[in-house]
Amino acid sequence: MEPVVEVRGLEKRYGRVAALAGVELDIRPGEIFGLLGPNGAGKTTLISIVAGLVRATAGEARVLGRDVVRDYAFTRRVVGLVPQEINFDPFFTVEEALRFQAGYFGVRLAEERLVELLAALELLDKRAAHTRGLSGGMKRRLLIAKALVHDPRVLFLDEPTAGVDVELRRGLWRYVRRLRDRGTTVVLTTHYLEEAEELADRIGVIDRGRLVLVEDTRALLRRHGAKTLRLALDRPLAAVPPALAALGARLEEGGAAVSVEVPAGEAFGPFLAAAAAAGVAVRDVETHRTTLEDVFVRLVRAGAAGAAPPGPRAGETP
Amino acid sequence: MISIRLQTLFVKEVRRFLRVPGQTLLSPVVTTTLYFVVFGWALGARLRMVDGVPYGRFIVPGLVTLGVLSNAYLNSSSSLFVMKIQGTVVDLLVSPLTHAEVLAGFVGASVVRGLAVGLVTWGVAGLFGGFSVAHPALALLVLVLAAITFGALGFVTAIWASSFEQVNFIPTFIITPLTFLGGVFYSASMLPPALRGFTHANPIFYVVDVVRFGMLGVSDASPWVGGLLLACLACLAVGGAWLLLRSGYRLRG
Repeated sequence: MEPVVEVRGLEKRYGRVAALAGVELDIRPGEIFGLLGPNGAGKTTLISIVAGLVRATAGEARVLGRDVVRDYAFTRRVVGLVPQEINFDPFFTVEEALRFQAGYFGVRLAEERLVELLAALELLDKRAAHTRGLSGGMKRRLLIAKALVHDPRVLFLDEPTAGVDVELRRGLWRYVRRLRDRGTTVVLTTHYLEEAEELADRIGVIDRGRLVLVEDTRALLRRHGAKTLRLALDRPLAAVPPALAALGARLEEGGAAVSVEVPAGEAFGPFLAAAAAAGVAVRDVETHRTTLEDVFVRLVRAGAAGAAPPGPRAGETP
Repeated sequence: MISIRLQTLFVKEVRRFLRVPGQTLLSPVVTTTLYFVVFGWALGARLRMVDGVPYGRFIVPGLVTLGVLSNAYLNSSSSLFVMKIQGTVVDLLVSPLTHAEVLAGFVGASVVRGLAVGLVTWGVAGLFGGFSVAHPALALLVLVLAAITFGALGFVTAIWASSFEQVNFIPTFIITPLTFLGGVFYSASMLPPALRGFTHANPIFYVVDVVRFGMLGVSDASPWVGGLLLACLACLAVGGAWLLLRSGYRLRG
């Protein structure tokens, strides 16, 4: 399957600072790709270069096999970008903003398409409203509508839910999934690891201008993930029973609780059976699953310490 | 064949200044009226005729030129600069608009606003000094060239500027002084030789002079010199703006 976006040896320098230092990346058609990284890691720079907003210092980026600099007239027609910062032109209405944006892409916006976009982003009743009168959430939805107005094959969402409330965030997630289901490839940068975990088919982690990992989200969580079972006890134990110790259990809270951590794919059954056989009186049970956030923090810490990050390298297919 | 992209940008830019007509089109009426009250009537009563033309009529081409130049400049500079500040310039930068289309959209709208203000100024001034156009096609051509030049200059300034102060620097310290010292209110022949030399070194003098030839049929210098100079300035300004836009300077990271 030919990648929709190909990035090869991409570098961007601002004076002595390397915002991107040789990034290699393929984005597959029809996927939601989550680009994660701390502030200043290079996420926005990377997608801005592909969208044509920023020029690379070295390397190349291709969309549908065409170079984003040499064939910009083609690549920009198939790319949509929702910028991180909310922007709006206070002189115009929502409808005018969308019609102008379509016109910049050489498209005369049909009435049905306009209504479809406004309805999908819950802006239908704001069609004639001036953009300055919209709430923050509406302005962000308008940005998304503007990025979709020319029906792009690839949509870049730069921190799409930064500063929006939970309800709107969930609504946007639903809409992004609908876009993916209709065949649009979506690349999103986010600080919200929950968002990436919820939405992304694959994850890329970028840190200090280098892509340190690209992996299928579920595989990443499976491989790095673990789950913990914690039993709060009726009667404190002085020591871990041997059958439980053999499974890796340890005492907590001075013997008032016992816990065990197992890889994400394994079951707690043997531990629970051993606890029952050892006569452990259980008062309460708690479980915890490793989140993408735990994995992300581990990866970025490993990178900061200069260690090779675990897992497949960027560009490899897991 | 004009692309949908260019048509859209041009229409949007024209509609933008039409949304605030009080600021963009009507304020020149007040300014022109004041100039006529102060200069046309107060001074005109003493000077009566300049180069064989009543003073009230003599100052009309200069005032029209001032209106065209400053409004052409203000349109492109304020629009693009505000887009940079608001972040809406991203809409253009990620689109397939070519550099030439972006420049043509901004400069084209600047020409429309410059000429609209020039027309309003001419209409108001005509009420005071009388209407006359000796060479209408030439006058229009010269004013269009002047609007293109200053529209492109405004575009360049907006790309370069990082504050409103920098955007306002050009009209405050360059356009207005050079226009006022470029023979709007007087003929260069009325000046002592030293000041006349200074006036002849001012490029806006030739612009005002050739517009005056187009409107009144009188001029201090050869209208060919003014016309040629203006054509060169327009080419330089547009060429420079295109090169700057193509370089990505201060727009594309």
